[in-house]
This record gives sequence, structure tokens and C-alpha cells, in this order.
Amino acid sequence: MTNIEKRYIIDSNKLSGEFYFNSILQEAYACGLLDESDLENIQLQCISLLAYKSERYNMGESSSIRVEVAESIMKSISYTIGLYLKSLQDPDHAAAELKSEKISELYERGKKLIYDRFREAKHIYEMIQRNKIKTPNHSYNSTLSVNGIGLFFKSYNIEYEAHDIPASIDYQLCNPVNDLVGIEYIQKYLENLYLENEFCNNFTSDNIYYLLYGYDKGYQDLLINIFEQILTAALGCSLANCNIRELNISKEDIQYLYEKLLKYDKHTLMLDIHKAAENIFEEFNITNYSLKKYIEKSLPKIVTNIEIALELNTLNKVFITPKNPDLEPKIQFKSGVKMDDEEYRRLIEELLRCRYTSDKLELIKEKVKSFDDLEDILIDAQLEEEEFISLFNILGDVEIAAMIKRHPFGSDFQDVNISEAERVLQLYLESYVKQLHSNRREYIFQIVEQLCEVDI
Amino acid sequence: MNVFSSLIQKQAVDEIQKCNDFTARFGLTLSYQNAIELVEMRTLSLKRYGRVEFGGGVINKIIKEFCDSPYISMNNYVETLLELIEIFYFYKNETLDLISDDELIKFMKNSFDGKCQGSLELLSGRELDKMARNLRYGYAPDYSEDNEYEEEDEDDQY
Repeated sequence: MTNIEKRYIIDSNKLSGEFYFNSILQEAYACGLLDESDLENIQLQCISLLAYKSERYNMGESSSIRVEVAESIMKSISYTIGLYLKSLQDPDHAAAELKSEKISELYERGKKLIYDRFREAKHIYEMIQRNKIKTPNHSYNSTLSVNGIGLFFKSYNIEYEAHDIPASIDYQLCNPVNDLVGIEYIQKYLENLYLENEFCNNFTSDNIYYLLYGYDKGYQDLLINIFEQILTAALGCSLANCNIRELNISKEDIQYLYEKLLKYDKHTLMLDIHKAAENIFEEFNITNYSLKKYIEKSLPKIVTNIEIALELNTLNKVFITPKNPDLEPKIQFKSGVKMDDEEYRRLIEELLRCRYTSDKLELIKEKVKSFDDLEDILIDAQLEEEEFISLFNILGDVEIAAMIKRHPFGSDFQDVNISEAERVLQLYLESYVKQLHSNRREYIFQIVEQLCEVDI
Repeated sequence: MNVFSSLIQKQAVDEIQKCNDFTARFGLTLSYQNAIELVEMRTLSLKRYGRVEFGGGVINKIIKEFCDSPYISMNNYVETLLELIEIFYFYKNETLDLISDDELIKFMKNSFDGKCQGSLELLSGRELDKMARNLRYGYAPDYSEDNEYEEEDEDDQY
């Protein structure tokens, strides 16, 4: 059954959320609700309101104002009036108010609304502080901190910059807020984030951690949406009949899902995902209407991801197998006891005096017993490139891996704190590793991942 | 908008001409044409320096402040006013709006009659420039470096 909707003269779909006041003027004029004299009257009133606000801005001390400031004040006025007009029951009413009421009166009503909205947003922000999830993800934490959205509640300027969003918001929502600015944006953003947190709180922080670690080891620094990852994983678990609470979906399950979902067309896939979402609602006893709506709104995006993954056979990038870093194999590496300082100094002097590479190598082999000493010698003994190569040739895979771990290369950013000698070591190490056979190189990098150094 | 702005301009011209009652005692008067020139100069300066003005009044203030200057006579009255108007709006921007209209006009008058001895070049190129720099760096408008070396250096510059 289709819903019966009342028809209005102004089509609300044509109105912009961000520039509501301007767009309603355009539409009302186009539909004949406002004529030219009305528009002129509104414009004149707007200019005198702008003049009044500019004078207040200058505190009566200056009669002129920079164009950018005047523009910003005008935007703020339009935004405030637009916010009030939006709160009316329909655009036709808004047009009627524009015709009958004074602009300054509409502005004052809008300002009152903004104050109310500001209080509401602050309340939601406080609620989010209580329901936020425990995660080391930097963008999530910094956005929720006092220097992120918290900044908004200190710097928001209702009088002259009501359309502005003076906050640092890096965290991406699953359903981003579009077409809104100012307090409306913040309120919507916070509402969405609150719902996302509500859902995520159904899972233990350990399970969230394992899932995100499985997604990427460096997820702390990534600009990812946590809710989307969790929801996708939960949907995957539901489809594969795994434990939804633990988000535990294995590689075999993903393979099974791949074979199952490949047969579906888009419509069936959507139906199946909706069914899976219903399962999740039941499992966690989710009855909150807004949360249900929000999750349903997120589904098309996830379905698109699944469709693309099915085409490319990369379903394991959509449904993530959680990984517990504590259970990963580790290689422990001990450097050994360093030699006495005096002895080391003598060795370096001797090496510097040595003329032949073979002598130097013999000397190092004979005297150096710990990895730390070897590293120091590579830095201090001013060796030539072929001497480096010969030394690296003596080392085993684990030692090379440990050397890479201590002197990582390949980063775009050069560490400014390292010395010239260390840079040379890094350079030779890089060229040595590059000329290795690809199998051995991969093996070495695998060791680097698993290596953890143990203090003696 | 055009009707609106021309109305404002007409009002401004009338106000400027009313100043003649006050300045006549110093032997200075402006014709209707002169008043239009001044208003046009204001519009041009505002446009050039990216500013908008709602009320009028700045030209009147400049006229009333400068009319008793010993360096202004009927021979250079209009030219001086035209330049002063442009200088005024230029330094409103340069001072980052940190100074009020009245204070800026007063500073201009004191410097014009004092250190600059009627030179508009010195006023805009040295005194106001120094003052704007002081304000931007958070000093008082009339702050000057006590260090002799610095002063020598600045003297060299000009």
C-alpha cells in the first residue's frame, strides 16, 4: 500500500539542506508564492539586518567591515533564518511566514532554536562520552576528545558564524552527514555516532580488537569506520551461521559464503542481508527504532561491497577473520652480552688500521660475539660497501631480519635524528636485501613481522 | 540594489555638504561636485580594499578632524581629502580592524600635523605603516624601538 502524502506547492526535494533560506526564496518565487516586490522587501530587510549585525560586530567603533566578514555574517543570518523555516511544518508555510513576518523576527526565532539545538547536541555529546567504545583507533578517540568535537562547544559562534563547524572531526561515519552545516551537522553527526556506539557496545572490546587487528595490524592509525566493520562481520557470521557475538568467521566460512552468495542476484542478496540483519536484531534484542533504521540504512553500502568482492573474488577483504595478536607465532631474539668498552675501542682501532677486507672479516668473526656489538661495528668501523655485503653474507636470516627491524628502510619519511653512519648502514642493508632472491626476501620480511627482541 | 545604493550615495553627498557650515570658518568649502567626487572615492576605495560600509559618516569625520590643519587650504583641500579617504580604508585593512575609526582618524591628524608636517606620503608610507605594524605585533600604536641601532637602521631606510 502506498502512503498518501499531502501535496505542497513547493517541492521539498528541490530545497537545499545547507542553503535552505536561499533555496526556499528561489522556489517560492518560481512557484508564485512570492512576487518580485516581496523578494525586494526581503532583500532590503536582510541588508538592514546585516548592517545592524555588522555594527554590533564592530561594537560601533568602525563603520566599514571586510567583505569576507560581511559575507560570513550574511551566511550566518541566512543559516539561522533557514533553520527556523525548516522547523515549520512544510515549505508552503515557510513561504507564507517569509511574506508576513519581519526578517529580524524570523532571525530571532532561528537563534532561539539554535540555542536549543546547541544544548541538545551537548547532551548527546555527554551521552557519547559514556557509551563510547574502548579502542586504540586514533581518529575515533581524537574526534571524541575535548580537542575534537569538544572544541565545537567552546568555539561555536551563534551570533556571527552560526553556519560554521569549528571542530576537528576526522572519524568517518558509516552514513556520513551530507547537506548540513553548523549546529545541524554536529547534532546529526553526534546522533549517528551515538547509534553506532550503541550497536558496537553489544560486542566485547576484545572481540572488536581482534576483528580490527585482523582487518589491519595498523588499524589504530587508519581512518576506518569501526561500526561498519563490526556490522559487516556480524552479518557475515549470521549468513554463515557462526557465533555473531564473537564475530568469529573462519576462512572456510568465508569460502562457503563465497560459493553461496555467488549464485544470488542483487535482489536475493539484499533480501538475505536483510534477513541476516533481522537475526542480529533478535540476537542482541535490539528494539530501538532509530538504531534499527540506522543499521538498515547502512545495508546497501555493505551489499555493494559484497557484490564487488564477489566479482573480484576478494570476499575475505569484506568479511574479516579476527586475529588475536597474542596467539600469533613469535620469534624471540636475544642479542647476547656486549663486550667491554675498552676491548671494543681496541677492536675498532684495529679494524680502522686493517687494510684488507678478509682481515677485517676474520677479526670481526673472531672477536664479535653479540649482535649489539656487530651493529655498533657496522656503524663505527667505516666499512666499504663490499665489506658490508661480505658481512651480511655471513649473517643468517634471523640476524638480517633483526637488522631490518632495528634499521627499517623504505619509509617515505627519513628520520632526521639518525646519524650519517646509520643512514649509510640503512642504505647498504636496503640494497643488500633488494638483491636477494625473492623467496628468501619474503621469508626474511616474514621473520621481521614475527620477531620480538628479548632483553638479556 | 542600485536604487538602494544610489539613495545612500545621495544621502552621503548631502551630509558632506552640510559639513561646509562647520568648515567655512577655516576658509574651506566643498562644492556639490566635490562632494560627489569624495563619495565616489569612498566607493572606489571600499571596492579596492575589499570592504563594505553600511552607515556613512567616515568622510564627515575626516573633514571635521582635518579642517583645522595648518597644512590644508582651499588649494589642496579636495585632493588631500581624496587621498586621506583612500589612506583611511587601506589602513583599516592593514591594522586588521584593531583600531576604531575615530582613533585612526585622530592618529592620522596628529601625525599629519606633527611628524609629517603636511606630507601625505610620509603619513601613509612611514607613520601609518609603523603604527599598523605595531598593532599587528601587539604593541601600542605609537610604540617605537628604543634601540638606537634600530632607529638608525630605519632612518637609513627612508
